[in-house]
Amino acid sequence: MNNIITLLRPRILSSINGLRQGNKKNNWARILMYGTLGIVFWIGTFIIFYRVLFYFQSVQDFGNILAMKLLSMIIITFFALLLFSNIINCLSHLYLSQDLPLVHSLPVSSKDIFVSRWMISTFDSSWMILAFSLPMFLSYGLIYKANTTYYVIFLMAMVFMCFIASALSSILVLFGAQILPAGRIRTILIILGVMMVMIIILVMRLTRPEQLVNPDSFASVVLYFNSMQTPNSPFLPTTWISDAIKAALHNETNTYLLNTALAGTFAFMLIFFNNFTAQVSYFSGFSKSQTTPRRLFAPLKYKGLDWESLLNFLPRESKAFAVKEIRTFFRDSSLWPQLFLMAALIAIYIYNFSVLPLDNTPIKTIYLQNIFSFLNIGLAASVLAAISARFVFPAVSMEGEAFWIIQAAPIQTRTFLWIKFFLYYIPLIILAEVLVVSSNLLLKVSPFMMILSVLTIFCLVPAVVGLGIGMGAVYANFKSENPANVITSFGGLLFMILSFALIAMVIILEAGPVYKIFMADLRGQSLSLIQIVWIFCSFTLAIILCLLSIFYPIHLGEKSLTIK
Amino acid sequence: MISLTELTKDYGTVMAVNKLSLNVNAGEIYGFIGPNGAGKTTTIRMMGGILAPTSGTIIIGGVDMAKNPVAGKKMIGFVPDRPFLYEKLTGMEFLRFSADLYDVPRDTFPHRSQELMKQFALWNWADELIEAYSHGMKQRLIIASALLHDPKILIIDEPMVGLDPAAVHMVKDILKELAANQITIFISTHTLSIAEDLCHRIGLIHKGTLLAQGNLDELKRIANLGEAKLEEVFLTIIKENTFI
Repeated sequence: MNNIITLLRPRILSSINGLRQGNKKNNWARILMYGTLGIVFWIGTFIIFYRVLFYFQSVQDFGNILAMKLLSMIIITFFALLLFSNIINCLSHLYLSQDLPLVHSLPVSSKDIFVSRWMISTFDSSWMILAFSLPMFLSYGLIYKANTTYYVIFLMAMVFMCFIASALSSILVLFGAQILPAGRIRTILIILGVMMVMIIILVMRLTRPEQLVNPDSFASVVLYFNSMQTPNSPFLPTTWISDAIKAALHNETNTYLLNTALAGTFAFMLIFFNNFTAQVSYFSGFSKSQTTPRRLFAPLKYKGLDWESLLNFLPRESKAFAVKEIRTFFRDSSLWPQLFLMAALIAIYIYNFSVLPLDNTPIKTIYLQNIFSFLNIGLAASVLAAISARFVFPAVSMEGEAFWIIQAAPIQTRTFLWIKFFLYYIPLIILAEVLVVSSNLLLKVSPFMMILSVLTIFCLVPAVVGLGIGMGAVYANFKSENPANVITSFGGLLFMILSFALIAMVIILEAGPVYKIFMADLRGQSLSLIQIVWIFCSFTLAIILCLLSIFYPIHLGEKSLTIK
Repeated sequence: MISLTELTKDYGTVMAVNKLSLNVNAGEIYGFIGPNGAGKTTTIRMMGGILAPTSGTIIIGGVDMAKNPVAGKKMIGFVPDRPFLYEKLTGMEFLRFSADLYDVPRDTFPHRSQELMKQFALWNWADELIEAYSHGMKQRLIIASALLHDPKILIIDEPMVGLDPAAVHMVKDILKELAANQITIFISTHTLSIAEDLCHRIGLIHKGTLLAQGNLDELKRIANLGEAKLEEVFLTIIKENTFI
């Protein structure tokens, strides 16, 4: 036990040291921002759930069924999230962390190493889900006027669920590491996981929930409600956990005691089996993970055909960077799932516009089409900001510890940043323009709205990319084990906030003038001089804002990266 | 070829380099030795344009690094102490990337890169991703890439760390050959036998200050030692701490 505590100490001390005052990474602004975001999210979740459950209560017969079904769905979703996050964390903590060779060289048993790592992995995977389940279950408790026992049972059930998910994941990983090197399992699991999410999203979208407004489909809804009353399988841990919480809500003592006991004993049995499996197989799996990683796919070679030559129009150093970035991007298998997810989101985005029931609404179609088109600018720009957060903001940090190559090379920091800017700007402008033009075509909008959309996106894309590259340079982290995760840092959050604020400001600046122009056109009226001046000023301000967002952050980034 | 004048780097809490002045001539191999934390890597990083000095000047091949760093860097082949590279590129792709940055003529690249890859025993690994390379192979690849553009000055931080004996022997031979061809080489090292074996002159730095410099005989005189190895000279000078 002493060894396990000793092995846990570096992690605990690192966390404490990270909170120490004087540590630059933890200034008050950072703490305040994370704290505020957490509290806002927590309160928001509580309010939404409270209102939804309150509404359910007002629906006779179905209300309680819906609330309980929602509870089961939350438990199943949490369990799936816990499983997925535990698998990823277990792989990292047990097989891939950089400090593992050092830890395995210490005079401690591999069993002790396993237990300490598993505990850290369980904590890392569970705390956030546990924290954000509280407002949901608190709202259940308040709506159903539950007594204290409910809260105790809920906490016990959630803790048991975390242990079950963690032990199950760990057993899976231990078996997996016997067959494949750990690095490969992670790649395959991430890809499979994201593909699963994509399929769920696509299936949910393709069922066309908007058809629920059609009275002809009401018969199927009643059938759906009937099916919801069917109990879940009694052999699943999620059933025991949701049944325990439901029974505690309704104060059914025998049922909640039985289900909590089932979940608890199953959790402890799995932990025992997990330790046993680890004793037998952990070290051999770890040894296997130390082997050299090989490429998942062999490089494609076509004689006489070379994609690099397509970039020959670029200056030499720019082409060198472009080739390096493209190769690194497509060879980094951790980025592939994000590409799949992005493709699925874009497909759904365009599909949504194709199924909008514009003809069934009482509002004048031409008016609605153009409102949608205008809002679509903001929506497309927001999609772009989210993509930029994942790919553009970490672009500078992705250089990692190899950034010395750029520093030592005969190239100016400004040039380096501008090359990065154009590398992301070109694909993103194409993507964003395709999004707005295709959705506008589906909406059959007026030529004015089409031109406005194209031009606004043309200004917003470089602004968001400039903001991303510049702020990514200001808040660069070249020492991170996973640079793609810098978006979750203080700088990343700040970038998200600023980019959404920029999009909102541009849209607000355009909204008034666009409405005036559109209505004047619709009514066949001409604009007054004051209106023209106002429109001119609004659009000029929007352009100035975009230009500022391109140049100023890159200038700040250059200053920040320039050698000190 | 290299001239450092009153070079100082103050990190605020530590004075890493304190008014360091030295000159290195063309074709000379200058060894820079000192205990851990003496300021060797800081000096080398300032010379390579990776770190800005607090004060003082660095002249590389007649170019002031503060005024025209890009021109200065074009003359330098820089090898850091730790071989961090783009892991998702192959060895050959990395060499091409370097060649493009340093403007190596396109027509000479295929021959030159092949020659270097073979010279550094990396040819069979040229099309493998760098993530599959061992520490020593990465170190050899960095040295190869530093030589790709035929630099006038080679700045190397701990060149032999991670290299096997055969590779150490090979690198030593290459460095001697380069010096014979008038390439200036500035090496920082902990391995005193390498400095003794390879360097025309040696500078000894401790707590950011250059304590002594000269060839081995001059250092022995400074340390008031007769027949002695560099190790004894090093320990004596460090102990006394007040030679210059």
